[in-house]
Amino acid sequence: MKRLTYLVISISAIAVVFAATVYVAWIPSPKEPPYELVAKWGAKGVDPGQFNEPTGIAVTDDKVFVSDSRNRRIQVFDHNGQFIRQFGNPRNKQSGEESAILERPMNLSIANQQLYVADYFSDTIKIYTLGGEFVRAVGQGGDGPAQFNAPGGVAVSGNGNIYVADFVNQRIQQLDNNGQFIRQWGNTKTVGVWSGEFNYPTDVAVNNKGYLYVADGYNDRIQVFSPQGNYVHKWGGPFGMNIFGSFNGWFATVTGIAIDPQGHVFVADFYNDRIQKFTEDGEFLTAFGIPGNSPTHTAIAVDVSSNGSVFVADYANHQIQKWRPGE
Amino acid sequence: MLKLNTLMITLTLLYTRSLSAQAAGTQYDIRVDGLACPFCAYGIEKKFVKTDGVKSVDINIAKGLVIVKTGADKSFTDSQLREIINDAGFTMKSYTIPGNPE
Repeated sequence: MKRLTYLVISISAIAVVFAATVYVAWIPSPKEPPYELVAKWGAKGVDPGQFNEPTGIAVTDDKVFVSDSRNRRIQVFDHNGQFIRQFGNPRNKQSGEESAILERPMNLSIANQQLYVADYFSDTIKIYTLGGEFVRAVGQGGDGPAQFNAPGGVAVSGNGNIYVADFVNQRIQQLDNNGQFIRQWGNTKTVGVWSGEFNYPTDVAVNNKGYLYVADGYNDRIQVFSPQGNYVHKWGGPFGMNIFGSFNGWFATVTGIAIDPQGHVFVADFYNDRIQKFTEDGEFLTAFGIPGNSPTHTAIAVDVSSNGSVFVADYANHQIQKWRPGE
Repeated sequence: MLKLNTLMITLTLLYTRSLSAQAAGTQYDIRVDGLACPFCAYGIEKKFVKTDGVKSVDINIAKGLVIVKTGADKSFTDSQLREIINDAGFTMKSYTIPGNPE
């Protein structure tokens, strides 16, 4: 009987130590207050200012560009939600070129005064001026170099290289400014959980030092690569190994990523209905979002303006959210 | 005689219903494993919209449900549906055709 008592006490002690270790090591406390919601706009529909499943967002100093996925268009607003223009939709065709028409726009990126659109159904990256004029398309369908199968996100580095989250091909591709293949990360069409492997990558971002950040969608983590292409580190739950959850610093399907001018990393944590903010090294800072009953999918994509305002595409409510740093 | 009349009426009703179903096309409610977010849902949708005879595709992520509506002269077998879902990287659990007896 005495032995059994000792056994129970020992197991309990080990469990307590383990839980404490998990809590300290993998559930960080916020270092910043949560952001405050200052505005939201939009509703389900087809009119200007309405959306049917917004899936991507990118901002300049004074404009917000939104992927209105099922309406097959980009809508442009000012920072207060006033509609400015739309483009990419067959009904609002401006350039007359067939390739200018969007089929299923997803995550967006802005660089060099151009908008880069990951067009999931056409297997291309479509590039427009910020005024909505079609410039060109990059890539084509397939699993070879510079070919895509359902691109989910795109980023552009300072030297004009284009990085693509090649979602179904389970890889990230780096192309030059002309769309020529440079290299890839991940094994084509092969899901993996080890460092440098991917499980349906959804989005990418490049910071001003040239480091590549990958939203490794169903691995519930972020992976970082150096400008030379070497794996640097990863984070998201214990060991960054596809262990999902709702604790601080954990994810449940990451669908979008953005980096502000200071290098902070903002991640759209889809099933947790929130945006999480990290340092460039992956240290958790804060989280914010609109909670719902059960997962409501209120945060699918994110971008940050130079003044610190955060804009979020709210998939479930067909809205755009605008947040500012808390005080 | 009464039995013969009943049989004729039943057959006529069945035939009419069949014609009506053909004219309207068919709806397939497909349950899919692992339908986690729009990225994967759109992958399935992409496969169906590029298939001849498909009129519309709706996805309910929360229910893991893909609703495919076809034109009058298009139908899918179980194995065809499974193949399309598999090609998109997912697994079909089951499907039903609303209005059809199980």
